Amino acid sequence: MDIRGLLLVNSGNIREDDLTFLASSPLGVLDVAGKAPLQRMAERLQQYGISSITAVVEDASFPLAKTLAVAAGLNCLVSTPERFWRTAENAFNDMAQSGAELVVLVRLGAYAEVDFEKLVQFHLDRGSRVSQVAHEGSGLEIFCISASRRNDAASLLRSQLSRCRSECPQMEHTGYVNSLGDARDLRQFAVDILTRKTQTCPACEELKPGVWIGHGAIIEKGARVLAPAYIGAYARIRTGAVITRCASVEHHAQVDCGSVVENSSVLPYCYVGAGLDLAHSVAGMRQIANLRRDVSVEVVDPKLIASIAVTSGKRLLTSAADFLTYLPRIAAQGIFSGGKPQQPDLNTALRTTSPALGDTAGYETSACDSEAAQKFPNMVVARRYGHQ
Amino acid sequence: MDINSRPVVVKRMPERVNGRTAREFLRDVQPFLHADRPQLVFDLSQVVQLDAAGVEMLLRCMSEAHKRDGDVKLASLSAQSAVVLELTRTERLFEIYETSTDAARSFSGFLPNAMRQQLLHNKRPAAPLAA
Repeated sequence: MDIRGLLLVNSGNIREDDLTFLASSPLGVLDVAGKAPLQRMAERLQQYGISSITAVVEDASFPLAKTLAVAAGLNCLVSTPERFWRTAENAFNDMAQSGAELVVLVRLGAYAEVDFEKLVQFHLDRGSRVSQVAHEGSGLEIFCISASRRNDAASLLRSQLSRCRSECPQMEHTGYVNSLGDARDLRQFAVDILTRKTQTCPACEELKPGVWIGHGAIIEKGARVLAPAYIGAYARIRTGAVITRCASVEHHAQVDCGSVVENSSVLPYCYVGAGLDLAHSVAGMRQIANLRRDVSVEVVDPKLIASIAVTSGKRLLTSAADFLTYLPRIAAQGIFSGGKPQQPDLNTALRTTSPALGDTAGYETSACDSEAAQKFPNMVVARRYGHQ
Repeated sequence: MDINSRPVVVKRMPERVNGRTAREFLRDVQPFLHADRPQLVFDLSQVVQLDAAGVEMLLRCMSEAHKRDGDVKLASLSAQSAVVLELTRTERLFEIYETSTDAARSFSGFLPNAMRQQLLHNKRPAAPLAA
Protein backbone atom coordinates (compact mmCIF):
# COMPACT_ATOMS: atom_id res chain seq x y z
CA MET A 1 0.00 0.00 0.00
CA ASP A 2 1.35 3.41 -0.99
CA ILE A 3 1.25 5.64 2.09
CA ARG A 4 2.80 9.11 2.02
CA GLY A 5 3.50 11.62 4.74
CA LEU A 6 2.68 15.33 4.67
CA LEU A 7 4.20 17.48 7.41
CA LEU A 8 2.97 21.04 7.88
CA VAL A 9 5.07 23.57 9.78
CA ASN A 10 3.78 27.08 10.31
CA SER A 11 3.62 29.55 13.16
CA GLY A 12 -0.16 29.71 13.35
CA ASN A 13 -0.53 27.53 16.42
CA ILE A 14 1.89 29.33 18.76
CA ARG A 15 0.08 30.47 21.90
CA GLU A 16 -0.03 34.24 22.33
CA ASP A 17 0.92 34.57 25.98
CA ASP A 18 3.81 35.99 27.96
CA LEU A 19 5.95 33.01 27.09
CA THR A 20 5.62 33.53 23.36
CA PHE A 21 9.11 32.75 22.24
CA LEU A 22 10.52 33.32 18.82
CA ALA A 23 7.04 33.99 17.51
CA SER A 24 8.34 34.42 13.98
CA SER A 25 9.57 30.85 13.89
CA PRO A 26 7.52 27.75 14.79
CA LEU A 27 8.86 25.67 17.65
CA GLY A 28 8.65 22.57 15.47
CA VAL A 29 11.89 23.57 13.73
CA LEU A 30 13.93 24.37 16.85
CA ASP A 31 16.38 21.74 18.02
CA VAL A 32 15.58 19.87 21.22
CA ALA A 33 18.28 17.47 22.40
CA GLY A 34 19.88 17.46 18.98
CA LYS A 35 16.91 17.19 16.67
CA ALA A 36 13.93 19.35 15.84
CA PRO A 37 10.44 17.92 16.38
CA LEU A 38 10.05 18.11 12.57
CA GLN A 39 12.99 15.73 12.14
CA ARG A 40 11.78 13.47 14.93
CA MET A 41 8.32 13.23 13.41
CA ALA A 42 9.78 12.52 9.96
CA GLU A 43 11.95 9.77 11.43
CA ARG A 44 8.94 8.31 13.21
CA LEU A 45 6.98 8.18 9.96
CA GLN A 46 9.96 6.53 8.28
CA GLN A 47 10.11 3.94 11.07
CA TYR A 48 6.58 2.93 10.13
CA GLY A 49 7.58 2.52 6.48
CA ILE A 50 6.30 5.89 5.27
CA SER A 51 9.38 6.89 3.34
CA SER A 52 7.99 9.44 0.93
CA ILE A 53 7.44 12.57 3.03
CA THR A 54 6.83 16.14 1.97
CA ALA A 55 7.24 19.04 4.38
CA VAL A 56 5.42 22.31 3.75
CA VAL A 57 7.02 25.13 5.74
CA GLU A 58 6.27 28.77 6.15
CA ASP A 59 9.01 30.98 4.73
CA ALA A 60 9.68 32.63 8.13
CA SER A 61 11.08 29.35 9.31
CA PHE A 62 12.57 28.48 5.95
CA PRO A 63 16.34 28.66 6.65
CA LEU A 64 16.01 26.34 9.63
CA ALA A 65 13.37 24.12 8.11
CA LYS A 66 15.20 23.65 4.82
CA THR A 67 18.32 22.44 6.62
CA LEU A 68 16.22 20.07 8.70
CA ALA A 69 14.24 18.81 5.75
CA VAL A 70 17.42 18.08 3.79
CA ALA A 71 18.95 16.34 6.82
CA ALA A 72 15.88 14.17 7.25
CA GLY A 73 15.66 13.39 3.53
CA LEU A 74 12.36 15.18 3.03
CA ASN A 75 10.95 16.98 0.06
CA CYS A 76 10.61 20.57 1.29
CA LEU A 77 8.10 23.10 -0.07
CA VAL A 78 8.26 26.71 1.04
CA SER A 79 5.28 29.00 1.17
CA THR A 80 4.28 32.46 2.30
CA PRO A 81 1.95 32.53 5.32
CA GLU A 82 -0.94 33.63 3.07
CA ARG A 83 -0.54 30.75 0.62
CA PHE A 84 0.48 28.12 3.18
CA TRP A 85 -2.75 26.12 3.13
CA ARG A 86 -3.08 26.36 -0.65
CA THR A 87 0.46 24.96 -0.99
CA ALA A 88 -0.43 22.13 1.38
CA GLU A 89 -3.50 21.34 -0.73
CA ASN A 90 -1.40 21.29 -3.89
CA ALA A 91 1.12 18.98 -2.22
CA PHE A 92 -1.72 16.62 -1.27
CA ASN A 93 -3.07 16.65 -4.84
CA ASP A 94 0.40 15.91 -6.22
CA MET A 95 0.67 12.91 -3.91
CA ALA A 96 -2.74 11.64 -4.99
CA GLN A 97 -1.83 12.05 -8.66
CA SER A 98 1.45 10.22 -8.24
CA GLY A 99 -0.30 7.12 -6.94
CA ALA A 100 -0.59 7.52 -3.17
CA GLU A 101 -3.46 5.63 -1.55
CA LEU A 102 -3.29 7.11 1.91
CA VAL A 103 -1.75 10.32 3.20
CA VAL A 104 -0.78 10.78 6.82
CA LEU A 105 -1.06 14.49 7.53
CA VAL A 106 0.74 15.93 10.58
CA ARG A 107 0.85 19.55 11.60
CA LEU A 108 3.64 20.61 13.99
CA GLY A 109 2.51 21.93 16.42
CA ALA A 110 2.03 19.16 18.77
CA TYR A 111 4.52 16.33 18.86
CA ALA A 112 2.79 13.01 19.49
CA GLU A 113 4.31 9.56 19.41
CA VAL A 114 1.50 8.02 17.44
CA ASP A 115 1.45 4.42 16.35
CA PHE A 116 0.92 5.12 12.63
CA GLU A 117 0.38 1.46 11.84
CA LYS A 118 -2.52 1.45 14.27
CA LEU A 119 -3.83 4.68 12.74
CA VAL A 120 -3.79 3.27 9.23
CA GLN A 121 -5.47 0.08 10.42
CA PHE A 122 -8.10 2.12 12.25
CA HIS A 123 -8.73 4.18 9.10
CA LEU A 124 -9.09 1.10 6.91
CA ASP A 125 -11.31 -0.72 9.40
CA ARG A 126 -13.72 2.20 9.65
CA GLY A 127 -13.71 2.72 5.90
CA SER A 128 -13.77 6.45 6.51
CA ARG A 129 -12.45 9.17 4.23
CA VAL A 130 -10.61 11.02 6.98
CA SER A 131 -9.54 9.73 10.42
CA GLN A 132 -8.11 11.83 13.21
CA VAL A 133 -5.92 11.12 16.23
CA ALA A 134 -7.28 12.33 19.56
CA HIS A 135 -5.71 12.63 22.98
CA GLU A 136 -7.84 12.72 26.13
CA GLY A 137 -10.92 13.55 24.08
CA SER A 138 -9.50 16.46 22.10
CA GLY A 139 -8.38 16.08 18.51
CA LEU A 140 -4.71 16.37 17.59
CA GLU A 141 -3.71 17.75 14.21
CA ILE A 142 -2.78 14.33 12.92
CA PHE A 143 -4.95 12.79 10.22
CA CYS A 144 -5.05 9.83 7.92
CA ILE A 145 -6.74 10.75 4.63
CA SER A 146 -7.73 8.58 1.72
CA ALA A 147 -5.84 10.10 -1.19
CA SER A 148 -8.77 9.63 -3.56
CA ARG A 149 -10.91 11.93 -1.41
CA ARG A 150 -9.44 15.19 -2.58
CA ASN A 151 -12.51 17.24 -1.78
CA ASP A 152 -12.47 16.10 1.84
CA ALA A 153 -8.77 16.90 2.07
CA ALA A 154 -9.32 20.29 0.43
CA SER A 155 -12.13 21.09 2.86
CA LEU A 156 -9.96 20.09 5.80
CA LEU A 157 -6.95 22.11 4.64
CA ARG A 158 -8.97 25.18 3.70
CA SER A 159 -10.49 25.24 7.17
CA GLN A 160 -6.94 25.01 8.61
CA LEU A 161 -7.65 21.52 9.96
CA SER A 162 -10.55 22.72 12.05
CA ARG A 163 -13.43 21.15 10.10
CA CYS A 164 -14.02 18.04 8.09
CA ARG A 165 -16.96 17.84 5.72
CA SER A 166 -17.48 14.12 6.15
CA GLU A 167 -17.59 11.97 9.25
CA CYS A 168 -14.17 11.91 10.91
CA PRO A 169 -13.73 9.10 13.43
CA GLN A 170 -11.17 9.70 16.14
CA MET A 171 -8.56 7.21 17.26
CA GLU A 172 -7.62 7.70 20.89
CA HIS A 173 -3.89 8.06 21.43
CA THR A 174 -2.59 7.16 24.87
CA GLY A 175 1.12 7.70 24.32
CA TYR A 176 3.34 10.72 24.66
CA VAL A 177 2.03 14.13 23.53
CA ASN A 178 3.60 17.56 23.80
CA SER A 179 1.63 20.51 22.45
CA LEU A 180 4.81 22.56 21.67
CA GLY A 181 2.83 25.75 22.02
CA ASP A 182 5.35 27.88 23.87
CA ALA A 183 8.79 27.88 25.47
CA ARG A 184 7.54 25.92 28.49
CA ASP A 185 6.47 23.06 26.22
CA LEU A 186 9.80 23.19 24.39
CA ARG A 187 11.63 22.92 27.71
CA GLN A 188 9.34 20.11 28.88
CA PHE A 189 10.05 18.26 25.66
CA ALA A 190 13.80 18.41 26.39
CA VAL A 191 13.24 17.17 29.95
CA ASP A 192 11.05 14.32 28.71
CA ILE A 193 13.64 13.26 26.14
CA LEU A 194 16.50 13.33 28.65
CA THR A 195 14.51 11.47 31.29
CA ARG A 196 13.43 8.89 28.70
CA LYS A 197 9.72 9.57 28.96
CA THR A 198 9.61 9.62 25.18
CA GLN A 199 10.46 6.93 22.69
CA THR A 200 12.64 9.37 20.79
CA CYS A 201 16.18 9.76 22.14
CA PRO A 202 18.83 12.47 22.23
CA ALA A 203 20.60 12.75 18.91
CA CYS A 204 24.08 11.74 20.01
CA GLU A 205 26.05 9.19 21.95
CA GLU A 206 25.46 8.65 25.66
CA LEU A 207 29.01 8.89 26.99
CA LYS A 208 28.05 8.40 30.64
CA PRO A 209 24.69 7.37 32.05
CA GLY A 210 22.43 10.35 31.47
CA VAL A 211 25.07 12.48 29.74
CA TRP A 212 24.85 12.84 25.98
CA ILE A 213 27.71 14.60 24.23
CA GLY A 214 27.69 15.34 20.53
CA HIS A 215 30.45 15.03 17.98
CA GLY A 216 33.08 17.78 18.24
CA ALA A 217 31.74 19.21 21.48
CA ILE A 218 34.43 20.77 23.70
CA ILE A 219 34.13 20.54 27.45
CA GLU A 220 37.06 22.41 28.93
CA LYS A 221 38.94 21.31 32.00
CA GLY A 222 37.14 22.40 35.13
CA ALA A 223 33.70 22.43 33.53
CA ARG A 224 31.15 20.01 34.99
CA VAL A 225 28.34 18.22 33.21
CA LEU A 226 25.97 16.51 35.63
CA ALA A 227 23.43 13.94 34.46
CA PRO A 228 20.96 14.20 32.94
CA ALA A 229 22.35 16.68 30.45
CA TYR A 230 22.79 17.07 26.73
CA ILE A 231 25.69 18.83 24.97
CA GLY A 232 25.18 19.15 21.24
CA ALA A 233 27.69 18.80 18.44
CA TYR A 234 30.41 21.47 18.34
CA ALA A 235 29.08 23.09 21.50
CA ARG A 236 31.65 24.54 23.87
CA ILE A 237 31.49 24.49 27.65
CA ARG A 238 34.21 26.66 29.12
CA THR A 239 36.13 26.31 32.36
CA GLY A 240 34.14 26.45 35.55
CA ALA A 241 30.76 26.17 33.83
CA VAL A 242 28.19 23.75 35.24
CA ILE A 243 25.53 22.05 33.14
CA THR A 244 22.96 20.28 35.27
CA ARG A 245 19.35 19.20 35.90
CA CYS A 246 18.19 18.20 32.45
CA ALA A 247 19.97 21.11 30.82
CA SER A 248 20.32 20.95 27.10
CA VAL A 249 23.02 22.90 25.26
CA GLU A 250 22.33 22.54 21.56
CA HIS A 251 24.83 22.36 18.72
CA HIS A 252 27.32 25.23 18.24
CA ALA A 253 26.16 26.88 21.46
CA GLN A 254 28.70 28.21 23.95
CA VAL A 255 28.55 28.51 27.71
CA ASP A 256 31.26 30.82 28.96
CA CYS A 257 33.43 30.51 32.07
CA GLY A 258 31.73 30.02 35.41
CA SER A 259 28.16 30.06 34.13
CA VAL A 260 25.60 27.65 35.49
CA VAL A 261 22.96 26.22 33.17
CA GLU A 262 20.34 24.54 35.30
CA ASN A 263 17.09 23.07 34.02
CA SER A 264 17.41 25.21 30.91
CA SER A 265 17.73 24.89 27.18
CA VAL A 266 20.36 26.79 25.24
CA LEU A 267 19.33 26.88 21.61
CA PRO A 268 21.74 26.36 18.69
CA TYR A 269 24.28 29.13 17.99
CA CYS A 270 23.55 30.84 21.30
CA TYR A 271 26.29 32.30 23.47
CA VAL A 272 25.74 32.43 27.24
CA GLY A 273 28.10 34.95 28.83
CA ALA A 274 30.54 34.39 31.66
CA GLY A 275 29.46 34.08 35.29
CA LEU A 276 25.74 33.85 34.60
CA ASP A 277 23.07 31.75 36.21
CA LEU A 278 20.67 30.47 33.60
CA ALA A 279 17.96 28.59 35.46
CA HIS A 280 14.49 27.42 34.42
CA SER A 281 14.81 29.18 31.09
CA VAL A 282 15.08 28.78 27.37
CA ALA A 283 17.77 31.00 25.86
CA GLY A 284 18.48 31.68 22.25
CA MET A 285 18.38 34.24 19.47
CA ARG A 286 18.94 37.04 21.99
CA GLN A 287 15.92 36.08 24.02
CA ILE A 288 15.34 34.44 27.34
CA ALA A 289 12.05 32.82 28.24
CA ASN A 290 12.02 32.54 32.01
CA LEU A 291 9.63 29.76 32.96
CA ARG A 292 9.40 30.66 36.64
CA ARG A 293 8.41 34.22 35.93
CA ASP A 294 6.33 33.30 32.89
CA VAL A 295 7.97 35.96 30.81
CA SER A 296 10.02 36.18 27.67
CA VAL A 297 12.48 39.07 27.39
CA GLU A 298 14.89 40.30 24.78
CA VAL A 299 18.50 40.63 25.91
CA VAL A 300 20.44 43.19 23.89
CA ASP A 301 23.74 43.01 25.75
CA PRO A 302 26.03 40.56 23.93
CA LYS A 303 27.98 40.04 27.17
CA LEU A 304 24.94 38.23 28.54
CA ILE A 305 23.26 36.41 25.67
CA ALA A 306 24.39 36.66 22.06
CA SER A 307 24.01 34.89 18.77
CA ILE A 308 26.94 33.10 17.20
CA ALA A 309 27.35 33.28 13.43
CA VAL A 310 25.80 30.32 11.68
CA THR A 311 28.45 30.02 8.94
CA SER A 312 31.88 28.78 9.95
CA GLY A 313 33.67 31.43 7.84
CA LYS A 314 31.87 34.22 9.65
CA ARG A 315 32.67 32.64 13.02
CA LEU A 316 36.34 32.46 12.07
CA LEU A 317 36.37 36.09 10.93
CA THR A 318 34.65 37.23 14.15
CA SER A 319 37.16 35.35 16.32
CA ALA A 320 40.10 36.74 14.33
CA ALA A 321 38.75 40.28 14.56
CA ASP A 322 38.23 39.90 18.33
CA PHE A 323 41.75 38.58 18.74
CA LEU A 324 43.38 41.33 16.66
CA THR A 325 41.46 44.18 18.26
CA TYR A 326 41.80 43.00 21.85
CA LEU A 327 44.99 44.93 22.74
CA PRO A 328 44.01 48.16 20.90
CA ARG A 329 40.61 48.06 22.68
CA ILE A 330 42.22 47.70 26.10
CA ALA A 331 44.66 50.52 25.30
CA ALA A 332 41.84 52.79 24.07
CA GLN A 333 39.80 52.09 27.20
CA GLY A 334 42.79 53.02 29.34
CA ILE A 335 43.41 56.26 27.44
CA PHE A 336 39.84 57.52 27.15
CA SER A 337 38.45 56.52 30.52
CA GLY A 338 41.17 58.42 32.42
CA GLY A 339 39.27 61.67 33.06
CA LYS A 340 37.02 61.52 36.09
CA PRO A 341 33.89 63.71 35.75
CA GLN A 342 33.38 66.26 38.47
CA GLN A 343 30.75 65.16 40.96
CA PRO A 344 28.03 67.64 41.89
CA ASP A 345 27.53 68.33 45.56
CA LEU A 346 24.48 67.04 47.44
CA ASN A 347 22.45 70.26 47.19
CA THR A 348 22.99 70.56 43.43
CA ALA A 349 22.12 66.92 42.92
CA LEU A 350 18.89 67.28 44.86
CA ARG A 351 17.77 70.15 42.67
CA THR A 352 18.53 68.66 39.27
CA THR A 353 16.51 66.22 37.23
CA SER A 354 18.33 63.12 36.18
CA PRO A 355 19.15 63.23 32.46
CA ALA A 356 19.22 59.44 32.52
CA LEU A 357 15.52 59.37 33.27
CA GLY A 358 14.71 61.31 30.07
CA ASP A 359 10.97 61.65 29.58
CA THR A 360 10.18 59.40 32.49
CA ALA A 361 11.11 62.05 35.01
CA GLY A 362 7.52 62.50 36.18
CA TYR A 363 8.31 62.38 39.83
CA GLU A 364 5.87 60.98 42.29
CA THR A 365 5.77 63.04 45.37
CA SER A 366 2.71 61.45 46.88
CA ALA A 367 4.81 59.39 49.21
CA CYS A 368 6.83 62.32 50.45
CA ASP A 369 6.00 63.75 53.76
CA SER A 370 5.58 67.47 53.79
CA GLU A 371 8.77 68.31 55.59
CA ALA A 372 10.97 66.28 53.28
CA ALA A 373 9.16 67.60 50.22
CA GLN A 374 9.90 71.16 51.28
CA LYS A 375 13.48 70.35 52.02
CA PHE A 376 14.13 68.40 48.82
CA PRO A 377 11.65 69.62 46.20
CA ASN A 378 13.18 67.71 43.31
CA MET A 379 13.61 64.42 45.08
CA VAL A 380 11.64 61.56 43.59
CA VAL A 381 10.29 60.30 46.87
CA ALA A 382 11.61 61.11 50.30
CA ARG A 383 10.30 59.45 53.43
CA ARG A 384 11.06 59.99 57.04
CA TYR A 385 10.16 57.61 59.75
CA GLY A 386 11.41 59.76 62.58
CA HIS A 387 8.74 59.09 65.15
CA GLN A 388 7.16 55.83 64.09
CA MET B 1 21.90 63.14 67.43
CA ASP B 2 18.57 62.56 65.70
CA ILE B 3 19.23 59.11 64.33
CA ASN B 4 15.83 58.53 62.73
CA SER B 5 15.52 61.68 60.70
CA ARG B 6 17.65 60.61 57.76
CA PRO B 7 15.69 60.61 54.52
CA VAL B 8 15.19 57.59 52.32
CA VAL B 9 15.92 58.60 48.75
CA VAL B 10 13.92 56.83 46.07
CA LYS B 11 15.25 57.12 42.53
CA ARG B 12 13.44 55.84 39.52
CA MET B 13 15.75 54.18 37.02
CA PRO B 14 15.50 55.02 33.32
CA GLU B 15 13.81 52.77 30.77
CA ARG B 16 17.05 51.70 29.17
CA VAL B 17 20.00 51.18 31.46
CA ASN B 18 23.02 50.84 29.21
CA GLY B 19 26.60 52.10 29.57
CA ARG B 20 25.73 55.76 28.96
CA THR B 21 22.56 56.01 31.03
CA ALA B 22 24.16 53.98 33.81
CA ARG B 23 27.01 56.50 34.02
CA GLU B 24 24.54 59.39 34.08
CA PHE B 25 22.46 57.69 36.73
CA LEU B 26 25.51 56.95 38.83
CA ARG B 27 26.57 60.59 38.55
CA ASP B 28 23.12 61.62 39.80
CA VAL B 29 23.14 59.35 42.80
CA GLN B 30 26.79 59.90 43.77
CA PRO B 31 25.96 62.79 46.15
CA PHE B 32 23.41 60.63 47.95
CA LEU B 33 25.85 57.76 48.13
CA HIS B 34 28.53 60.00 49.57
CA ALA B 35 26.23 61.21 52.31
CA ASP B 36 26.53 59.70 55.77
CA ARG B 37 24.74 56.32 56.02
CA PRO B 38 22.87 56.64 52.71
CA GLN B 39 19.47 54.99 52.39
CA LEU B 40 18.51 54.57 48.77
CA VAL B 41 15.72 52.80 46.97
CA PHE B 42 15.93 52.27 43.22
CA ASP B 43 12.59 51.91 41.50
CA LEU B 44 13.00 49.62 38.47
CA SER B 45 9.38 49.59 37.37
CA GLN B 46 10.09 51.35 34.07
CA VAL B 47 13.20 49.44 33.12
CA VAL B 48 12.72 47.61 29.83
CA GLN B 49 16.39 47.04 29.10
CA LEU B 50 19.12 46.37 31.60
CA ASP B 51 22.56 45.35 30.47
CA ALA B 52 25.81 44.37 32.17
CA ALA B 53 26.82 48.03 32.62
CA GLY B 54 23.55 48.66 34.47
CA VAL B 55 24.11 45.70 36.76
CA GLU B 56 27.66 46.85 37.41
CA MET B 57 26.36 50.31 38.30
CA LEU B 58 23.87 48.81 40.78
CA LEU B 59 26.66 46.82 42.42
CA ARG B 60 28.85 49.89 42.58
CA CYS B 61 26.06 51.86 44.26
CA MET B 62 25.56 49.07 46.79
CA SER B 63 29.27 48.88 47.47
CA GLU B 64 29.50 52.67 47.98
CA ALA B 65 26.48 52.63 50.27
CA HIS B 66 27.87 49.77 52.34
CA LYS B 67 31.16 51.61 52.76
CA ARG B 68 29.24 54.35 54.54
CA ASP B 69 27.10 51.94 56.55
CA GLY B 70 24.09 52.58 54.34
CA ASP B 71 22.12 50.37 51.98
CA VAL B 72 20.59 50.30 48.52
CA LYS B 73 17.33 48.44 48.03
CA LEU B 74 15.44 47.67 44.85
CA ALA B 75 11.72 48.01 44.31
CA SER B 76 9.02 47.35 41.69
CA LEU B 77 11.21 45.23 39.44
CA SER B 78 9.98 44.99 35.88
CA ALA B 79 10.01 41.54 34.29
CA GLN B 80 13.00 42.44 32.15
CA SER B 81 15.09 43.72 35.03
CA ALA B 82 14.12 40.76 37.23
CA VAL B 83 15.25 38.29 34.58
CA VAL B 84 18.58 40.05 34.03
CA LEU B 85 19.25 40.38 37.77
CA GLU B 86 18.51 36.69 38.21
CA LEU B 87 20.71 35.82 35.25
CA THR B 88 23.63 37.81 36.64
CA ARG B 89 23.13 36.43 40.16
CA THR B 90 22.73 39.91 41.58
CA GLU B 91 19.15 39.58 42.79
CA ARG B 92 20.39 37.69 45.86
CA LEU B 93 22.65 40.58 46.87
CA PHE B 94 19.89 43.16 47.10
CA GLU B 95 16.81 43.43 49.23
CA ILE B 96 13.95 43.56 46.74
CA TYR B 97 10.47 44.90 47.51
CA GLU B 98 7.25 45.00 45.57
CA THR B 99 6.80 48.74 45.91
CA SER B 100 9.03 51.70 46.62
CA THR B 101 6.94 52.46 49.69
CA ASP B 102 7.61 49.01 51.13
CA ALA B 103 11.30 49.41 50.41
CA ALA B 104 11.43 52.86 52.01
CA ARG B 105 9.48 51.63 55.01
CA SER B 106 11.88 48.73 55.45
CA PHE B 107 14.66 51.15 56.37
CA SER B 108 12.86 51.93 59.60
CA GLY B 109 12.63 48.25 60.44
CA PHE B 110 16.19 47.88 61.54
CA LEU B 111 19.15 50.10 62.18
CA PRO B 112 22.66 49.81 60.82
CA ASN B 113 25.17 48.31 63.21
CA ALA B 114 27.05 51.51 63.87
CA MET B 115 23.83 53.29 64.75
CA ARG B 116 22.63 50.45 66.95
CA GLN B 117 25.85 50.55 68.92
CA GLN B 118 25.56 54.31 69.26
CA LEU B 119 22.00 53.93 70.56
CA LEU B 120 23.07 51.31 73.07
CA HIS B 121 25.90 53.54 74.16
CA ASN B 122 23.53 56.48 74.67
CA LYS B 123 21.02 54.41 76.61
CA ARG B 124 23.61 52.92 78.96
CA PRO B 125 23.19 54.47 82.43
CA ALA B 126 26.04 56.56 83.59
CA ALA B 127 28.39 54.82 85.98
CA PRO B 128 27.95 55.97 89.54
CA LEU B 129 30.62 58.26 90.76
CA ALA B 130 32.94 56.84 93.27
CA ALA B 131 32.11 57.96 96.71
